[in-house]
Amino acid sequence: MFQRLMRALSREPKSKNVAKSRLKLILVQDRLGVDEELMKTLQVELTDLLSRYFELKPDYVEVDLLREADSMALVANIPIFGMKTRRPVQV
Amino acid sequence: MGRAIVITSGKGGVGKSTSTANLGTALAMLGRAVVVVDADVGLRNLDIIMGLESRVVYTSMDVIEGTCDIEKALVKDRRVENLRLLAASQKNNKTDIQAKQMKELCLELKDMFDYVLIDSPAGIEQGFQNASVGADEALIVTTPEVAAVRDADRIIGLLQSMEINDMNLVINRLSPNMVKAGDMMNQQDIIDILSIKLIGVIPEDQEMVVSTNRGLPLTHDRRSIAGDSFKRIARRLEGEELPIPTFKPESWFGSLFDKLFNWG
Repeated sequence: MFQRLMRALSREPKSKNVAKSRLKLILVQDRLGVDEELMKTLQVELTDLLSRYFELKPDYVEVDLLREADSMALVANIPIFGMKTRRPVQV
Repeated sequence: MGRAIVITSGKGGVGKSTSTANLGTALAMLGRAVVVVDADVGLRNLDIIMGLESRVVYTSMDVIEGTCDIEKALVKDRRVENLRLLAASQKNNKTDIQAKQMKELCLELKDMFDYVLIDSPAGIEQGFQNASVGADEALIVTTPEVAAVRDADRIIGLLQSMEINDMNLVINRLSPNMVKAGDMMNQQDIIDILSIKLIGVIPEDQEMVVSTNRGLPLTHDRRSIAGDSFKRIARRLEGEELPIPTFKPESWFGSLFDKLFNWG
């Protein structure tokens, strides 16, 4: 009872919402057959590519698969610390 | 020709056997000829939940091996007309039965009954495959928990690959109090995630434990809300359009009353 009261008063998200968002993520991975390793590789390759244009810190790069209703999205959070060159390198 | 329905979940302990026993009872009460089949070879328990364990002599294994007639292996439930149990062998392994034999057995039973309810073992291995191979449709049982819903999703995928596309969801052990407090996913949350058709919600009910102790499915108890929920699922299976109620939390007074009388 006391625990329940504390939870009701605290600002933590409702545990059912935590359950739902965890489940959505788990199922994206289950359904796509995407594993940790693949996500890691994707993160490394994305960082490599973007490093040609921007100064990045690999440790700050976050890549995640998220599910919204019926679609899935690749969401990346990539802080930029500066430009490498004024223009993209011409090959 | 009857309907063969597999009751399955992936995860163990979510109430597959209890659902099978209660639905079988509810359908028989509607006047249908029903057989419940325990497909959990080596770990049978449907006979216990139904209180028929002392009368099991032959099992599906004996029928498959030709040791006995199918009629002889069916245990009659004496509390309701037209309900039979086909028990699983306790001495054998899940791999002792082939998918083809199970399919033939289901065909034979479909000729004799309106409903063949197959209680699947947990897991996604051969036991589950055997339980599903002869089924035309599936009832997926889940509880409002992350692990149970995840496993249900996996099972839905596997059933689709077996071309069983007629699937209905049963949400078991929903606690209206916890849903109200925001500490349990509600039925809409679960449907959003699994996107299959909901056929019933069974509220959490401690009487379920009592009924299993006694070996008397709760559906026999006219006052039980959980038992009533199974009866409603049975009527929906029969094609009736019945709304699925949202359960209200018990009143403050009601729960105080409960606590007072369960003190000792």
